[in-house]
Amino acid sequence: MRCYVALVLSLLFSAPVFSSSFEVTVITSSSEKSQSVGKSFAGITVKLQRPVLRAVELALFESSTLFDTVGVHASLRELKIDLEADLQAQLKSIALPGVVILDLPLSAMERVVQLTNEMNIPAFNVRHSEVYLRDSLCLKNLYHTIPSDRMYFDALGQFLIHRDWRRVLVVQGPSQRDTERAASLIHSLKKFGANIVDVRTFTLSHHPDDRDKNRPGFLTGGVSYDVVAVIDSQKDYGRYLQYSTRIARPVVGDVGLTPTSWHFALERYGAPQLNERYRQLKADQPQAPQLAMTDAEFAAWSAVKLISNSISTSKQIAALDLTALLNDPATQVDLYKGTRGSIRQWNNQLRQPILLSTADAVVAIAPMPKYLHQKHYVDTLGLDEPESNCQLR
Amino acid sequence: MKTEACQDANRQRSSVVALFIFIILSLQCIPLNAATVMITNERSGDLVFMNENGKTTDVVSLCNRPRGMVKYEAAGVVFVACSDDNQVIEFDVKTKKTTRVFDELPGATSLAFHESSKRLIISNEGYAKATVLDVDSGKVLASLPTGLEPDGVVITDDGSKIFVASENAGLVHMFDGNSYQAINRLMTNLRPRRMAIREQELWVSSEMGSRVEIFDIATQNKIDEIIFAPRGFRSEQLTPVDILFDQAQTTGFVALGSANNIAIIDATTREIVKYILVGHRPWGLGLTPDGSRLFVLNGLSDDVTIIDLTKKRPVRSSRTGLIPHSVEIFP
Repeated sequence: MRCYVALVLSLLFSAPVFSSSFEVTVITSSSEKSQSVGKSFAGITVKLQRPVLRAVELALFESSTLFDTVGVHASLRELKIDLEADLQAQLKSIALPGVVILDLPLSAMERVVQLTNEMNIPAFNVRHSEVYLRDSLCLKNLYHTIPSDRMYFDALGQFLIHRDWRRVLVVQGPSQRDTERAASLIHSLKKFGANIVDVRTFTLSHHPDDRDKNRPGFLTGGVSYDVVAVIDSQKDYGRYLQYSTRIARPVVGDVGLTPTSWHFALERYGAPQLNERYRQLKADQPQAPQLAMTDAEFAAWSAVKLISNSISTSKQIAALDLTALLNDPATQVDLYKGTRGSIRQWNNQLRQPILLSTADAVVAIAPMPKYLHQKHYVDTLGLDEPESNCQLR
Repeated sequence: MKTEACQDANRQRSSVVALFIFIILSLQCIPLNAATVMITNERSGDLVFMNENGKTTDVVSLCNRPRGMVKYEAAGVVFVACSDDNQVIEFDVKTKKTTRVFDELPGATSLAFHESSKRLIISNEGYAKATVLDVDSGKVLASLPTGLEPDGVVITDDGSKIFVASENAGLVHMFDGNSYQAINRLMTNLRPRRMAIREQELWVSSEMGSRVEIFDIATQNKIDEIIFAPRGFRSEQLTPVDILFDQAQTTGFVALGSANNIAIIDATTREIVKYILVGHRPWGLGLTPDGSRLFVLNGLSDDVTIIDLTKKRPVRSSRTGLIPHSVEIFP
């Protein structure tokens, strides 16, 4: 069940300064029903989810000139694991020195990451924004290049206050994840001074009694607000709130204006070139047109670029100690978002700006003006050092 | 009581008169003999002409996404990289007409001109290369392979070395200016953008690394770096791009991008002399021929800040086109 993808790095240049190599292992699971993820009634895709492999290939392709120059060989391998079989045995084949990128559903990732953590292999969470992974699980060999819920919602909160849309009606879905994310959203909104006028819950039931209760006009009526913030992790019901609210107000959150880490329409900071490279990477392989990386793909791309961008300034090149490299506070990455990214020493979260985007435009990039931090420009987004329960370094 | 009131009124009147005289005098302080300032604007696709005081005299529609511009003063022309047309054009400053078009230069972005050999160095963004063009014959002399996203290009005065910065790779590629063979790759901090040569030093701005790195051209070793810290900004917000030296090469100027400041640097001691607050995201820099004024292009506020270098103070902001990119100034 293993699939090897080799990346051939052309050696165009003269004698390298030193020679070392590492492998990037992308772990996926064979049992994930990826076909049904993010599909709504009639097979409509509402939540885009793709394997992150292509983004990793792109990052390695981009890094090849520098790797050539410094004499580093990077190889790529996809390890498809069987979640029913012995995980430990399957993970033994991870090549070292190396890093793993976990393209796995949450429960599978939690199982795998306990093992890679014990094996002292640096692993990247590229798919899950759950706060507890950063704050209470808090593993020293687990790095999060996908933003946390806190980062996303802090960005949204700053934007709403910046626009002076202070009175917020929160509409959330019924799932446990919705409740968890709504709590994060409310925390962020209150932190920046918004006023939560009410929290309403829609249901996804087919019971005739619920039909009227779920009507957008009813759900958003009887109260005055500047903006509606929707939490709908399934991205199904929320789609119908825009243009259907009781009073004419913008909708933000999981629909409408959405906090994201990457977007096809970002037109500054070199982003169009990165998007173009992503589109062209497999131009010879006919497939559905892909405008840009998803947030998970961008996180996987960031993980590899974090290594290649830091190798040039790092002292640990010859030995290629990737853990030391990632734990160095000087480790940095050019994220094509106007501000370089780096690792928060307390919880291994990649600090980065957050885009506030609609379906076809990036409206703003958080941190918003006047949100200042005493140390790092982007640390007004997400769990800051004093409030973090996780204190790794 | 009366006389006192009268004296007060007199005093007021005389201070008003003094103020008027002051205003008139200070107006006269602004030189009226105007240099010709030209600004390419990548979004509005035009060339804005203004005088030394920032007064727009003409706007000429140019091409799609004009970016890098470099002057060939003896011929009275500028070369402009028209990125979205995949061309470089030669533009006559007097007649305000495009006089020549150099085709098939995909993603032409930044330019450098070596006057004695009439060679134009062009970075081809998106094509991982730079092109050397002979402007007399219009022929491509060489294609220099680089890392992804080449931007800044420079050539030494004697024409013996060419440098091309690759933003994505974090490298400056060094080529022999005669054989066009790759000589070396200089590792830089994140996102090297523009370069300037001062004696035997190569100054490179690292946009995402928030610094200027200085390399010795002979050994290609990094010899120093300048780290910026204007008040009220965190390190990540400092995104330096354009670097410029005055005629004597004793003073350097660096545009600090997102930090909305420029830095004036003593080029010999490498000390930062002063930060000056300008418009939003300053990138492009240009000096008047007498070296008295610095033109700073603010890419996100669509204006230019004019700095009086004797007082080291901004004297005026003027409107440009949309997203001003490069500035060249003729006497």
